[in-house]
Amino acid sequence: MIRKSPMKQENRQTISGADFEEYFQPQNLEKALEIKAEYSDQIEVAAGTTDLLVANYEQLHQIKNWLDLDKIDELRKIEILENELHIGAMVTHLQLMKSDLIKEKLAVLAAAAEDVGSPQIRSRGTIGGNICTSSPAGDLLAPLLSYEASFKLQKAGAERIVRAEDFFTGPKRNLMEADELLTEIIIPLTENEREGAWVKVGRRKALVISTLTLSVVLEFEADKIIEAGIALGSVAPTPIRLWEVGELMLGSSLTELDYKQLGQEVKARINPIDDLRGTREYREDVAADVMVRALNEIERKRG
Amino acid sequence: MQITFTVNGEERELEVTPYTRLLDLLREDLGLTGVKEGCGKGECGACTVIMNGELTASCLVPAPQADQAEILTVEGLGTRDDLHPIQESFVEAGAVQCGYCIPGMILAGKRLLDENPQPTEKEVRYGLSGNICRCTGYAKIIDAVMMAADKLAVEGSDSND
Repeated sequence: MIRKSPMKQENRQTISGADFEEYFQPQNLEKALEIKAEYSDQIEVAAGTTDLLVANYEQLHQIKNWLDLDKIDELRKIEILENELHIGAMVTHLQLMKSDLIKEKLAVLAAAAEDVGSPQIRSRGTIGGNICTSSPAGDLLAPLLSYEASFKLQKAGAERIVRAEDFFTGPKRNLMEADELLTEIIIPLTENEREGAWVKVGRRKALVISTLTLSVVLEFEADKIIEAGIALGSVAPTPIRLWEVGELMLGSSLTELDYKQLGQEVKARINPIDDLRGTREYREDVAADVMVRALNEIERKRG
Repeated sequence: MQITFTVNGEERELEVTPYTRLLDLLREDLGLTGVKEGCGKGECGACTVIMNGELTASCLVPAPQADQAEILTVEGLGTRDDLHPIQESFVEAGAVQCGYCIPGMILAGKRLLDENPQPTEKEVRYGLSGNICRCTGYAKIIDAVMMAADKLAVEGSDSND
C-alpha cells in the first residue's frame, strides 16, 4: 500500500507553476550532456550535493536550474581497461575506500577517501564532485596528482582528456568549460611494485578541512625508485605535484635517501598561506615532518 | 514533482520541490522528528538517517535524490515499549544527556554493528566519527554501542538454539 502524504501548507508557499521543469534528473550521460549544452553556466550540477547544499545553505530555492547526475549509473563504475583504471565521476568516497581494485592498485587514493569528512559525507560525496569543486584542500586531489591521473571532460558530441595537474587553475577554479561535464578519472597502472603513504593533517580526525595533505607514491624496480609522485594539498592555490623532489629520489633505493633533507626540499617548494587552519610557518614545518613520516611508513611497509 | 520512497518499511508518495531537503521532508511532511537539525551543513550528524543502507546526513540530500530510496530513521528501530537492543543499551549505559544527538548516534551505532558485530573501541569511535555530542558524553555513548554489540551477540546465539 502506498500512503499519499499531502504536502504541508507552510511548505507550499514558494511553489509556483505546475511542476519543476528546471530540475533535470537524466537517466543517461547523453541526455545530461544535451542539457548542459543547452543551459551552459545557467545550471547547477548536482552530484553528491555535500558541497552544493552547504554553499547554498538556506538559499536552495535560489537555484534556478538543476542538473542532477544521481541516476546515471554509467558514471558509477570502477573498471580496468587496457592497463588503465577508469573511475566514474559519480563514484563515492565510500565506494573508493571499499573497492578491492582501488585498495590494491591505488592504495593512497583509498586511504585518502577513508579520511574524507565522515561516514555520512563519504556515502554521498563523489570523486567527480571533489575534483570539480577544486578546493586546494580537496582530499583526493593530491593522490590523483601522485598517480598521474587524467580527467575525461565531455560535452555534447566531443570529449577531451586533461591531465590532473593542468586541470586546477586556482582556488575553486579549473579549466572546465561551461558546457562540459567531468565524466571519468583515468589512472595508468603499472606492473612494477608501487608503495605509498598518505598523510592528512587537521585539527580533528573527522569532519575537518585539511590543514595539509601529502601523498607519496613510489614505484620500484627491485629496490630502485623509478617513479616518485610527491603531491600536496592545502599548501598552494591548487593541489601541487613536486616533480623536482621526485626527481631527486629517482635511481636510489630508500636506504640511500636522506629523508630529512627531502623533507626540507618539500618545505622549500610549497607556498602556503596563513588561514584559520594554520599559519604559513606551521604548514612549512609540518610539510617537512610529514614527508619524513611518509618515507618511514613506506620503508616499514616494504619490510 | 513527485517522489516515492520507503520510510521505516512503509512506502510513501510525496509532493516535493527540488529545494526541499530530505531532513525537512522527514520532519515536516512525515512528522518524523527523531531526525534533528543541528548545523544544517553535514558536520554534526544530528540529522543522520540510514539511506539505502548507508549513513547519510539528511540535511544534505535534495528531496529528488531520495526518490526510490529506502530510509530508516530512529522511529523505525524500536518502540517505547519494545526498544531495539541498541536503544536499550543507551538507556542502561546512561548515554543520553540532552538527547539531541542520540537518534543519530543510535543509527550510526546500528550501521556499524550491522557491518561489524564485534567492533573494537577504536572502530566504534570511527563509526561514530560523523556524530557530535555537545554534552561531550562520548565515553558512555561508546560504552552503549559496545554493550549493544554484546546484547546482539547473545540474541543471535539464542535464536540459533
